[in-house]
Parts: sequence; structure tokens; C-alpha cells
Amino acid sequence: MTTDRNGPAGGGAEAGKASQPAQQRGARIGFVILAVLVTFVALWMQIQGRRALTVPGNQALATATEKVAGFQADFLQLPDDPLLGMVEIPAGEFLMGSDPSVDRQAYENERWSATQRQGTVTLPDYYIGRFEVTVGQYAAFVQATGHAYLPSALSANPDYPVANVTWTDALAYCRWLQNQLLDSERTPTGLRELLRAGWTVTLPTEAEWEKAARGSDGRLYPWGNRLQEGFANFGSSASRPVGSYDCPDCSYGLSDMSGNVWELTRSPLQPYPYSSKDDFDSLDGDALWVMRGGSYADGPANIRAAVRGGVDPGVRNDTIGFRLVLTGP
Amino acid sequence: MASGRKNRSHKSSSTIQMTAGGSAAAVQQVQSSLQPLLFPLLLAAALFTVSMNPRIQQNLVLTWSFWAAALFIMAWLGVLFASLRQSGASRSFEIVLRPQHYIQAMVQCSLFLYWGYYWQPVYAHLWLLVGQLLFAYSFDILLAWSRRESYTLGFGPIPIIFSINLFLWFRDDWFYMQFLMIGAGFMGKEFVRWQRDGRRVHIFNPSAFALGLFSVVLIATGTTNLTWGREIASTLTLAPNIYTFLFILGLVVMYFFSITLVAGTAAIVLFGLSALYSATTGVPYFIDSEIPAAVFLGLHLLITDPSTSPRTPLGKLAFGALYGLGVFGLYSLLGVLGVPTFYDKLLCVPLLNLSVIAIDRAVNSINNVGLVNVWNSHWQRIRPNLVHMAIWIVVFGTMSLLGKTDGRHTGDSVPFWQQACADGLSNSCSRLLQLESTYCGDNSAWACNELGIHYLEGRIVEPDQDLAMGYLSRACELKFQAGCVNLLEPSEVAHGNPRELDLRLMLRQGGLNLMEMPTRDLYSRACEHGWEFACDSLVASL
Repeated sequence: MTTDRNGPAGGGAEAGKASQPAQQRGARIGFVILAVLVTFVALWMQIQGRRALTVPGNQALATATEKVAGFQADFLQLPDDPLLGMVEIPAGEFLMGSDPSVDRQAYENERWSATQRQGTVTLPDYYIGRFEVTVGQYAAFVQATGHAYLPSALSANPDYPVANVTWTDALAYCRWLQNQLLDSERTPTGLRELLRAGWTVTLPTEAEWEKAARGSDGRLYPWGNRLQEGFANFGSSASRPVGSYDCPDCSYGLSDMSGNVWELTRSPLQPYPYSSKDDFDSLDGDALWVMRGGSYADGPANIRAAVRGGVDPGVRNDTIGFRLVLTGP
Repeated sequence: MASGRKNRSHKSSSTIQMTAGGSAAAVQQVQSSLQPLLFPLLLAAALFTVSMNPRIQQNLVLTWSFWAAALFIMAWLGVLFASLRQSGASRSFEIVLRPQHYIQAMVQCSLFLYWGYYWQPVYAHLWLLVGQLLFAYSFDILLAWSRRESYTLGFGPIPIIFSINLFLWFRDDWFYMQFLMIGAGFMGKEFVRWQRDGRRVHIFNPSAFALGLFSVVLIATGTTNLTWGREIASTLTLAPNIYTFLFILGLVVMYFFSITLVAGTAAIVLFGLSALYSATTGVPYFIDSEIPAAVFLGLHLLITDPSTSPRTPLGKLAFGALYGLGVFGLYSLLGVLGVPTFYDKLLCVPLLNLSVIAIDRAVNSINNVGLVNVWNSHWQRIRPNLVHMAIWIVVFGTMSLLGKTDGRHTGDSVPFWQQACADGLSNSCSRLLQLESTYCGDNSAWACNELGIHYLEGRIVEPDQDLAMGYLSRACELKFQAGCVNLLEPSEVAHGNPRELDLRLMLRQGGLNLMEMPTRDLYSRACEHGWEFACDSLVASL
């Protein structure tokens, strides 16, 4: 089945007879090379198949296990505090939206209605992350699940806010973390009880986000009504590690509610007045989700607590990250 | 050494020679010593030059794939050169221009031009095709010269490369695999041989061998997404009247090479089985046509290589029928295994190639010439192939008149499959999933959302939370609001109507590019396909 059709190279009939075994040997070698080639291709394709978009690489692996001050390297890189960095926001009402007579930088989409500048919204008790979700935390998720990611999402140090993730990536992280916290014995008891009672780890609604950022006294910025340098990372060229700015006056002691990276919410972008029952029945338009807080690249107007940005759910960007919320059933 | 130097002068002569098949071939013999080795060197240099093209430079892996291929050729050439110098042996060309090569190449080329006009990636693939041709020629030459003195230079590698590229090519990041696939094809041709009718010939059609082998690897490793295979199989129908176009191209090949019995029988068997299935179950067998366009292409250009198909008329008939049965069976089998079904037309060709001797032997006892050419006693002067062609033309014409080729196909309509699935008709739910999966792959957010819901609810498919979330995420990232809402609240499933872009993707009806279609016409088309919301929208706009 593997001999040659032609005579041997450069020879006559006799030479052909003499070199026939060599030809057959050559054919056998060729057959073996073909088999080796196919085997190599199969093994290589197997490896490439796993690589697909981008799977966890060494960097993600290293990041996920690296020790960072204030975070637990052996527990999903979560903040090292009794509630894993979750801060309780007590139930109650707050002022949402902007009053242009007080805030000259207010945008039109921050107006409550045609007749009203701001609205009062009442929220039940909930918890929100003190920090934005970090590269280290997201790397732990990627490492555990093989979730596809852009290399740039994990290129910063583990204590930087994760960026270059989509809205759907953020939700996938939330779902995964919820299951991890439910299953882990290291989850603080109070937190586990909440989760067992039906509380969910997810993205904040824009109302939850805004109340946490400006408190119940309607501040323009998390620290008060006047812009102050040194409380937030804005107008700069890059993000900074989470919690880099000491802001004792900031609402509820939260970090980076202004600047650093925009934070995704689970509210669809639609005109005010805000309703606790977001209108999910109107499904005809293109999806656009609210993001809050501005980023390091923005100026003072965009890091106000009431600013509402809109983002496509598939967009990845250096300036967009997210923060977690724990919300009741 | 001395004889090597002595032979360095060129001698050439030009003649016309009849090939084994009886067709005319231009033959020119060029004798030399080591000077012919310059030719593959030039080809390798050309391959390197082509790699400088912006299309190839835009991707680093692609560029390196070309460079590696060129370096491989040069290294092989260097080793061959050194070995020949040492032994004093010489190498030469024999130029043979066989019609079965250049006619097939022209037919394939015209198909690339027509298809590429409606699907731009084909034209973007042009330089990659040139690179493959350069590599194929140099590989084939070096393989031949490593084993014997003379290489038969002609158009042989062109139809092999074109044929491979009509069915499968790797994405830029894995393009080096394309060169390996070509290498495997030529090695199969050179090393996997048998004795047939007193001659040692290759067993497998080289392109079908390479395609079959790599298809198995891609299926086994689950790496189909590293290739353009799925897109290639589905985008042929973007070219309008593709069946008629393929039919006409097929007639050219049939006229010159008497392959009508193979191609025609395969088509008739597939049409027949498809019709039988529809009549029995109430649903079409193939999703988008009576015979998928890529299968129709395969039965004209992939299984009709005279040297790897039976030589007797009844053998050809059986070969075609077996191909039809093979594709029909594999389509279901692959579907059941959850493997992309477009491999159906590729996987059975090597197996059929292996069976040609058995087929010829089995039909030898029958008076096959008399059986297939029964009219011969009455119309002695008519070439049997012309009669076979006439029958095929009538069959295809009838199928076209019945709307079974380029016309609208029931299986193309999602509402049809939704209803069939709801009615519990055979296989209809899996076909619905398959169809939605294809459309989701085409970036129809609506289809992704529906798929996600199926996997979430688990009514027509085994529930799979991860898969569901994956599809819903895709729908959401394509800005389909219902998909995002389902991600947030999986317990309260939200459906949405297809958007305009979804309709443009889902209503191609096995042919047209609808991207420029006016909205009203689009909705009218959607209404014809059974989309009630589109009918309502049309009524509301009156």
C-alpha cells in the first residue's frame, strides 16, 4: 500500500531494483511522518481549544494568590474585615437627582421630572462594598471558572480596581461570588445567614449606589458639596489602588465612590423619576445600563454623586469597573 | 559529482500526449541536474514575499505561519540539495498540463469569484490562497524529488488547494494548521497507495483526505471554532441562485469528465431521502434546503475525482448513491453527537475512496454498461454521458420548478420549527435549537436569548445553567434588553420580538443578503415566514 509508482531516482531498471527496498523504507518513513504530524496536530488543537479566547494564564494565577495588605489572599482576595468589606446602609429615604440651583454642573438627565428637580426615594436596609472589585478578586474568579477575559483586565496589580470587563462579566462574577460565599465555611456567619435568607450578591441599583455615595443629606460629592483634591482620583491618567484616598468624611466610609473607575449598576438607563420597580417590560430598545461615579479620566462634573452615565452591556473599557451590593429579597 | 556536472545542460522537448483517461494533455520534458532546484527556491522566496502583504502582516501569527512555511521549504531544499550533490544524482521536471486539473481549477476559481462577491471574507482570503498554492507546489515538488528523479509539473496542486479552501480554512491565529493540512494531503497522496487496475495509485482524493483527517481532529478536540468551516458551509447561500450556479459549473465538469453518474446519483438519492423523510415526519430533514448548498458543492467537486472513484458505470452509480446515503446518515449522527453537521459531506469521502475497488469488483459480475446505458441499443451514436447529463438536467429542472433548490424552504423559518416543536413533531425541537444556535452564532441576539431560555427552563433540552447564562450574556452583550433582564432575573423569563437586525440575519431564506432590504419589505418577508408580530406591525403601519 505504500510503495512508489516511479522508478528510483536517476537510475535505470537495475538501479531501480537495487534501490526498491530503500524506496519502500522511504515510503514507510513518510507514512510514519504523516502519522506523527496528525498526532501532533491533534494534541496541539486540544491545547488551542482550551485557549479559545483567553483562559486563565500564569499572570491571573499569580494575581489570584498574591498577598495584598488588607485583603485575604487565601479567601478570594476579599477584604480582610468582619463583613468582607461590606458596609451596611441603613434603611431610609434620601434625595435623588440634582437641583440645578444648588448644583450648577447638573445634567438634564438628573432632573426628576418636568415639574420636580429632585425626588425622595426610600430604600430598605442593604450592604455595599467599601471598595471597587479589585483585579485580585476578579482574577480569583477567572482562575476558578475559566471565564474568558481580556489580558488588560488583569494586567494591573491585584489591589487596583478591575476594568475592561463587561456588564455581563460583572454579573457573572457576582453570581459566582454568591455561590462561593454560600458554600464556604470562612464566610462570616452574619453574611452567610443573610445569603441563606435570600439576600443576593449583585450590582447596585442606581438608587442604592447614589444613596451610598451622597448619604441621606443630599451631598453633591461623597465628602460634601465642594470639590476637594485628595479625596478622589479624577482628572488623572490612570486608576489607583482601591482605598488609596483617605476620606474620613465620605458617606458611610466608602472609598472611590467618586472617580477611579465608573461603576456599573443593575439599572437600565431610562428617564427619571426612578422607581424601585424598574421598568423591565419595555424590552424593545437597545440595552443601555447606568454607570455611576465617574473615572480617573473625568473632570469634576462627572464625578458628582448624581451623575448618570449609560453603557452598552458588551463594552469593555479602561475606565469602567464595578462594586458589589448585598441586597435583600 | 562528475555526472552531476555533466547533466547540468538543459534539454527540452515539447509534445502532446494522450493521458490514461483519453483526454489530451500538453507535455513538455525538461531535463537537468540540480538547476531545477531553483524553482522551489523561487517558490519559497515568493511565499516569503507574499508574507509582506498587509493582509498577512496584520496578524503576527499569520505572518509567522508564512515565514515558517517558507523556512521549512528552504530547509528541506537545503537538505535535498546537499544530499543530491553528494550522490551526484539529478532532478528534472516533466510538464504535463492535464485538462482535469485546469478545467476543475477554472470551475473552482469561478465559484470563488461568485461566492466572494457576496461574502467578502473570500476575497480577503485571496493572498492566503496564493500563499497556500506556493507552499503546495514547493511541497509537492520536494516530496517527489526526495523520492524520485522527475516531478510532473502541471496544474495538479491548484484544484487540491481550491478544493480544500472551498470547505475549510483556519482562522488567522491558527493558520499554520492550514499549511500542515496541505502537507498531510500531499503526503497522503504520495504515501497511501494501492494497486488498482495494474497501477500503483493513491487511494484518497488528496483534498478529501486532508479535509477528512483534519475534520476528525477538529471534531475530536472540539476546536471547530478555530476554523471558518461553519461560516463557509452557511455562507455559500449568500450568493443568489447558488444551486443553479453550482449546477451549471457541474455540467461543465460532467461534460468533460463523465462524472454525471456519481454527482447526479448522489443528488437524486439526497433529494429522494429528504423528500421521504419530510413526507413521513412532516418536517424537512435538512434545515435550510433539500440538499445543503455545501453538500451540493461537495457532490460536484469533492467526490468526482476520476482516479479515486469507480471506473465502471454501475460502480459510479453505487458510489454516488453511497455518498448520498453517507451524507444523509452522517448529518443525523453528527447532530446526535452534538458535533457541527457541516462535516457530513467531508467525513464520508475518504471511506468511499477506500471502497472503490470493492464497488468495482461487486458490480463487475453485472453487465453494468448494459444496465446503465439501456438506450445504447437504440441510439448507438449518442455518448452515454450526454444521456446521463440530459437525465440530470431534467431532474434538476424539475426540482427547481418545485422550489426545492434556490427557492424558499420551510426549514428556514424559525416559527415553523417553534410550532413543530410545540406539536412534538420528530426531531423538531433539536432542529429548533440547531437553527437558533446557528443564528446566535451569526450574532442574532434574539436567537441567543431564546437559546438561553431553553437551557434555563429545560423544557426541550436538558437544563444547563452555565450554558444558559452564556447565551443570555451573549444576547445581552448584543444589546438585546430581554437577554440582560433574564441575566438579572433568571426566575422570570423575558422574551422579546426579534429586532430588525435579527430579521435580516434570520430571513435569508437560503440565499439573499438582506442587510440593505427596506424595513417594510423585511417585515413583509418576516410575516410570510410566520412571524406574527411582523404581520401586526405591517397592519399597524397601514
